[in-house]
Amino acid sequence: MNTDFSGFSRRAMLQTASAGFGFLAFAGLSTQAAESESSNPLAPKQPHFPPKAKRVIFLCMQGGPSHLDTFDYKPQLAADAGKGGRSGGRLMASPWEFRQHGKSGLWISDLFPEVAKHADELCLMRSMHCDQPTHPRAMTQMHTGNAQFVRPSLGAWTLYGLGTENDSMPGFVALNAPAASAQNYGSAFLPAIYQGTKVGRNQQRGGAAQRGNSNSGPSLPDISNPRLADNAQRRQLDFIQKLNKQKLAREKEQPGVEGVIESYELAFRMQDALPELMDLSKESDKTLAMYGIDEGDTDAFGRQCLMARRFAEAGVRFIEITHGNWDHHNRLKTDLPERCNEIDKPIAGLLKDLDQRGLLKDTLVIWGGEFGRTPDAQNGDGRDHNHKGYTIWMAGGGVKGGMSYGATDDHGREAVENKCHIHDWHATVMHLLGLDHTRLTYRYAGRDFRLTDVYGNVVQEILS
Amino acid sequence: MNGKCENFGRWWCSAGILLSCVLVGSPATATADEEQQPKPTEEGLRFFEAKIRPVLVEHCYRCHSADGSGIRGGLAVDSRDALLAGGESGPAIVPGDLEQSLLWNAINHQDLNMPPKQKLPEAVIADFRTWIEMGAPDPRASTGVVLKSRVGPEDIEKGREFWAFRKPVRPSIPAETEWARTNIDRLVSAKYQEQNLAPNPDADAHTLLRRLSIDLVGLPPSPQAIDRFVKSWELNREDAIASEIDRLLDTPQFGERWGRHWLDVARYAESAGKEVDLSFPHAWRYRDYVIESFNQDKPYDEFVREQIAGDLLPAKDDAEWAEHLIATGFLALGPKALIEQNPRQFQADLIDEQVDVTTRVFMGVSVACARCHDHKFDPIPQTDYYAVAGIFQSTATLYGGARTQRNRQPSNLIILPTDDPDPNVKSLSREELAEMRRRRDELEREALEARRAARQPQKTDGDQRRNFANQFLLEQQATQLTNQINSVDDNGEPITACMGVQDAAQIRNARVLVRGEIDQPAQEVKRGFVQVLSSENVELSSKTSGRLELSRWMTSPDHPLTARVMVNRIWQHLIGDAIVRETENFGASGPGPTHAELLDYLAVRFVESGWSVKAMIREIASSRVYQLSSAYDVERFEKDPDNLYHARGNTRRLDAEVIRDGMLAASGQIDLKRPRGSMISGFGSGMIRETGPAMALPQTPPGGPDRGEVRRQGVQNLIAAARARQSGTSFLDTTVYYRSVYLPIARNSLPRALEVFDFAEPSMVIGERESSNTPGQALYMLNNVFVLEQSDALARRLLKEAETPTDRIRLAFQLVYNRPPTEDEVKVSQQFLRGAMAAVGDTRGSGVRDRNEQAFAGLSQFCQSLFASAEYRYAN
Repeated sequence: MNTDFSGFSRRAMLQTASAGFGFLAFAGLSTQAAESESSNPLAPKQPHFPPKAKRVIFLCMQGGPSHLDTFDYKPQLAADAGKGGRSGGRLMASPWEFRQHGKSGLWISDLFPEVAKHADELCLMRSMHCDQPTHPRAMTQMHTGNAQFVRPSLGAWTLYGLGTENDSMPGFVALNAPAASAQNYGSAFLPAIYQGTKVGRNQQRGGAAQRGNSNSGPSLPDISNPRLADNAQRRQLDFIQKLNKQKLAREKEQPGVEGVIESYELAFRMQDALPELMDLSKESDKTLAMYGIDEGDTDAFGRQCLMARRFAEAGVRFIEITHGNWDHHNRLKTDLPERCNEIDKPIAGLLKDLDQRGLLKDTLVIWGGEFGRTPDAQNGDGRDHNHKGYTIWMAGGGVKGGMSYGATDDHGREAVENKCHIHDWHATVMHLLGLDHTRLTYRYAGRDFRLTDVYGNVVQEILS
Repeated sequence: MNGKCENFGRWWCSAGILLSCVLVGSPATATADEEQQPKPTEEGLRFFEAKIRPVLVEHCYRCHSADGSGIRGGLAVDSRDALLAGGESGPAIVPGDLEQSLLWNAINHQDLNMPPKQKLPEAVIADFRTWIEMGAPDPRASTGVVLKSRVGPEDIEKGREFWAFRKPVRPSIPAETEWARTNIDRLVSAKYQEQNLAPNPDADAHTLLRRLSIDLVGLPPSPQAIDRFVKSWELNREDAIASEIDRLLDTPQFGERWGRHWLDVARYAESAGKEVDLSFPHAWRYRDYVIESFNQDKPYDEFVREQIAGDLLPAKDDAEWAEHLIATGFLALGPKALIEQNPRQFQADLIDEQVDVTTRVFMGVSVACARCHDHKFDPIPQTDYYAVAGIFQSTATLYGGARTQRNRQPSNLIILPTDDPDPNVKSLSREELAEMRRRRDELEREALEARRAARQPQKTDGDQRRNFANQFLLEQQATQLTNQINSVDDNGEPITACMGVQDAAQIRNARVLVRGEIDQPAQEVKRGFVQVLSSENVELSSKTSGRLELSRWMTSPDHPLTARVMVNRIWQHLIGDAIVRETENFGASGPGPTHAELLDYLAVRFVESGWSVKAMIREIASSRVYQLSSAYDVERFEKDPDNLYHARGNTRRLDAEVIRDGMLAASGQIDLKRPRGSMISGFGSGMIRETGPAMALPQTPPGGPDRGEVRRQGVQNLIAAARARQSGTSFLDTTVYYRSVYLPIARNSLPRALEVFDFAEPSMVIGERESSNTPGQALYMLNNVFVLEQSDALARRLLKEAETPTDRIRLAFQLVYNRPPTEDEVKVSQQFLRGAMAAVGDTRGSGVRDRNEQAFAGLSQFCQSLFASAEYRYAN
């Protein structure tokens, strides 16, 4: 899209013509004076201490994937299968074999043959628990720490704490985000510029999107103007921002107006950056194959994973990919293998690709859902929600590979050893990013807020 | 109540019209009344023990019993209930019906092959025939389980003390103050004093008129309306406001605005959603019904009764009867997993959805939580869920569709007693109809053969694939024909049909399902209501479903929740925040009210006014609280950052519909006529894909070709739509100028203009929309074709209606911001227009423009800038 464009660069115009109206707006924010040396709220900031991870790729599995059939090996559950469970249903053994993998000998089920090859990079957190038994609330707690009130999300806090390294891209990108989930990427009372930007998913919602079977890959509509060259659009945008600025000056505190101002500046810059970043055509066939792109079931998630690597390379701070349909109340035996198959090769490809580009050492890769599932069967071969014990895993930036942390009981029903609450996990992620979760605060309405509220302990054992 | 039913019955007969259902594709849900089979005879049981049980144990239990190696395909055969429930493919046994019994199919190696390796001996198969035909007597009651609830009568009694479960009573109104104008003001300002807050000043005339217009009709005020209002305001502020409220409430646009709020909670959509997004071509009748109901100010209690039990209510004539039937669409248009194979599972999920929406939408409590276990927070035992579920189990839900590989759960529709066919369906000649039927039958036969062929051992993989593909194509063609055939009557004339419900042929209580599992039924539960909400013992007739009684109970003036829940929503839509901030959760896990007395006051007033929504809106909008300025004040903000106490107005992001309609209104392009039907009804039954026909068939633009012509161009439209999608535009953006409430709502592919601005997710009950602020929205306002075209149209209007550049600027501000510009704004606008004139050659592509074109382009960009600015997107 630069072809029609003569003599300017968008960046240059930004620096001269407009020099960030939005940033001016921010400088005027009364509640957050002197929060950063720069007037650009997205400028990279110094963390509290040297970070192990510089960015996050969060692979979010919506619906609550079964830990018992994937990453939490429970031989006793197999032995006791058929016995009465605690809540009415009978205990159901995992229909899949578990095997040890890598030098570390981590137990992983046969549903993840490719990811298992990276066993020595994985840190399995097998004692996760949260407070919410229903999907929307557990998802919200996973993202914001709090299911009750609207609070900033993990990604928004990360961006607030660290800024971002590419000011032409949102610092927090949500790929394939489900509908009605804005809160989980939201910035709440943090400035709107820190919220996640959804990419993809438009015109591709519900079942079709959850199955992740679109071959088109993520896209962002209206990414270019059919009429105006960049300098003309910049002139128009300057006018829009003048109107916005006058409104802000008249009305003083208007978070919505500040958000609009920022969203336009970012959108304008994204018009150049995003299509290029999302264009996979220059990736080699070898790379595409590594992610399972153009291979049917793995194509859609493969594209998203590759996109995530490109965003990570480009300096995006927090990238989240959602993969849906893990809510296996029934048909676990047929559906779970399909879900796992869709992501196994792409994730393995992502880990390998990050590693060979030297990015894995400072990129924190997270895999997990809002909760796990019960050892008891439901509806034949299904499992119910279980927020009392489940597994997520992390790899890369600053975590020990080839280890598992914590444990559930013999049947995998509840976390019993080294329990890790969402707050603890949040604290740990912040720590890996060089942020002290007790010191990363934001003053709102006369009170200091933080991601972990008054909770959270960093899990020291998993730090490399 | 019995008397009323009798009267109704007499009327129903005397009207001389019998309600009939149109059969589409296949019989309605095949749920035989297994639980009420006659007791098996001694002889039958002996036969089972001698001939059937040993075979099941020997050949089936290993893979199909709880004690075996698992329950393959979800099917267990070790109890009668499990056989009747069946597995993924459907019920294994339908007593007395060989064709419907999948076990029979499987042991004969028809579609399924069981046992897999070797067919049973013919004699054994004959025994199974005998056994199924004699009603499949089977003594293996799985459990005889009686589920004991942990919620006892004393918990329920105690639960009734919870604030939300007690009847609202009129609170005492605090003393008069100088500031307060209405009782609402007195109740709200009592909290100001407690919190030591002083209210903001009143909003100015322009701000208040814009607020009122947007809140009441979802459109900006016209320049004429602004003039009139400002003049009248100067004479008498109170009168000006009162008469403007009345005027707005009387316009037909009121129902379009408030009807849409209702459609948000009613999870209205025109397709099934979930995995396979099949269309609901008749759903729009419910949409129009809702809009009309709000316009007529139908008493809310009546509105509720119609939606739950319209089919059972007396009606004075056919038109009213039709209206009542359409109203029950509420229960039929939820999202559905039509690909589900097991009809019992499907029915259980359908009922669950109905229980869920009925209890949350009308009563603000979530009873569906109790499907699998006692409610975790409220004293609602699991048995209460099944008491309500029994009512819906005794109800037939009719949503249409034809059986295909993707739609395994089609149903009938309701034929309306009125002749009001869908304008988008064309009639067929008798010959055409006969030919279509012949062709359809032929295709179905071929498909059957292809299916059989595919089951046979294949020489190569390729053959197998071909056969599968063939079968699929044939079925798809047959379905298309079936859909067309079903859209007309026997004479080829389009039918007048709607989605909705009827009482089922069999009225029966539900059985509690242990952990909600369909193959684990426990005791039967008498149909009834939610105990904690009703202290009386209800006895429902065994002849009707009980929906009528349910709807009357919900709308009793003594009901603790129905009025509260609705006034809470009305308050939220006007004030910006609800009193109970989770509008569908009045239970113990919810946040509770910020102003309990105010809520009760409004609820009592609502019932007293005859459940008039317009009266409630008038009362709230007339309060001083509603009319407060939203201006920022640091002290008020720090004392009450979340504006819990309403000492200032809330600045609100406009809803997606208001943003789109407002652009159309300003540009003068808006078409305020209601389109007949919906784009989706024009598309008919079928699957909606992202490139799908529903999104592809353009509505006839004003003055454009007639509808039939457009339909004949279907294929070209498909291609055009696919091209448009590639270039990121949609025909919706360029050819459709009616109000947004009439845009097609397919669950899995929403119009971009709506989705980008946080439209209500149509598969969920949405009481409060999200309000995000994203770069995606910025890109939409900067680059979307709809926005560009409306900006052009506004520019043309300015040229036509104003003489000088400065007058055009002033008019533009009036049309878009609904206020005159400030001097600063005039100045920067003039600067921008001059700059645009000077910038010839900045446009994309080739071609040098002349000065006029350049001036127009600049003016259009100026208009677009106003639309794009923050002021347009927010209401103060």
